[in-house]
Amino acid sequence: MSKTALRVAGISLVAAIACGLAGSANAQLLARKDISAAMALTMAETAVATCKTNGYNVSANVLGRNGEIIVAMRGDNTGPHTLENSMKKAYTARAQRRSSGDFGDSIKDNFTAGALHLTNIVPTRGALPIKVGEDTIGAIGVSGAPGGEKDEACAKAGIDKVADQLK
Amino acid sequence: MSKIALRIAGVSVASALACGLATSANAQLLAHKDLSLAMATTIAQVTIDTCKAQGYNVSVHVLGREGQVVLAVRNPDAGLATFENSMKKAYTARTFSRSSGEFAEGVKGNPNAGALFLTNITPAQGALPIKVGNETIGAVGVSGAPGGEKDEACAKAGIDKVSADLK
Repeated sequence: MSKTALRVAGISLVAAIACGLAGSANAQLLARKDISAAMALTMAETAVATCKTNGYNVSANVLGRNGEIIVAMRGDNTGPHTLENSMKKAYTARAQRRSSGDFGDSIKDNFTAGALHLTNIVPTRGALPIKVGEDTIGAIGVSGAPGGEKDEACAKAGIDKVADQLK
Repeated sequence: MSKIALRIAGVSVASALACGLATSANAQLLAHKDLSLAMATTIAQVTIDTCKAQGYNVSVHVLGREGQVVLAVRNPDAGLATFENSMKKAYTARTFSRSSGEFAEGVKGNPNAGALFLTNITPAQGALPIKVGNETIGAVGVSGAPGGEKDEACAKAGIDKVSADLK
């Protein structure tokens, strides 16, 4: 390689590094959509009311992007475990970005699955992720109905109620 | 006293004992009025809306008779600590059957007050007990406004909204 060629290559490298620093992806903030308290309340109220209509007293939790509780709602005449259980189901759906029931199905032959042994993870149906496109921004969990699929139906009603705002 | 008088007195004592056993206070269940979820939801919603109308984003907890969470609402536009703080204020108001601000006034000159070292007790204004007559059935706690008296005013608006049903 000639000296000129080396010099050109060196300049190119310096320029590439400089441009890389100036326009680095690391220098940009993450642009996110997150669940408001009003939307979370609407989802939880709809889920509890839907199950009530179906004859079941349930509790519900709506969690945000980082698994934080936005709304925790204890249904009338529910078992004392239902508030905790709805939170754990929701946490599982948030973390797994799929229904807690689908997660449960996927590990049902594998009791040593690592995920099962993390805090707040349960293999129980009754929670759905809340998504904007492919981005999971939270989850809603329901507990109290006689069967996880009945809980999940109420969770779905809650999300459906605000579906047009999830964009 | 004549024999007849003694005998009559004896019968009276015996019958009094028998009746006493039959209607012993221990044999009766406690009759309670408790918060419904619908009422808790109204209290929380009015509390949030009242503070919002005044320009403050607040988180709210409504606790029941045993200090259990009936409804918890995190306001993503309020400070991170507000969720926890609203719960602790409410717990304080519930257990002492008075506003958390009055409790704070009560212990102001006594940093060694035992109550200050219990879990979830906080000497911060912003929560009110929910009462039926003289009986405390729960509490509402608010955090996020710039000043506990502003939080408390919103809590009061929430309770006032359902005061006609607190009987």
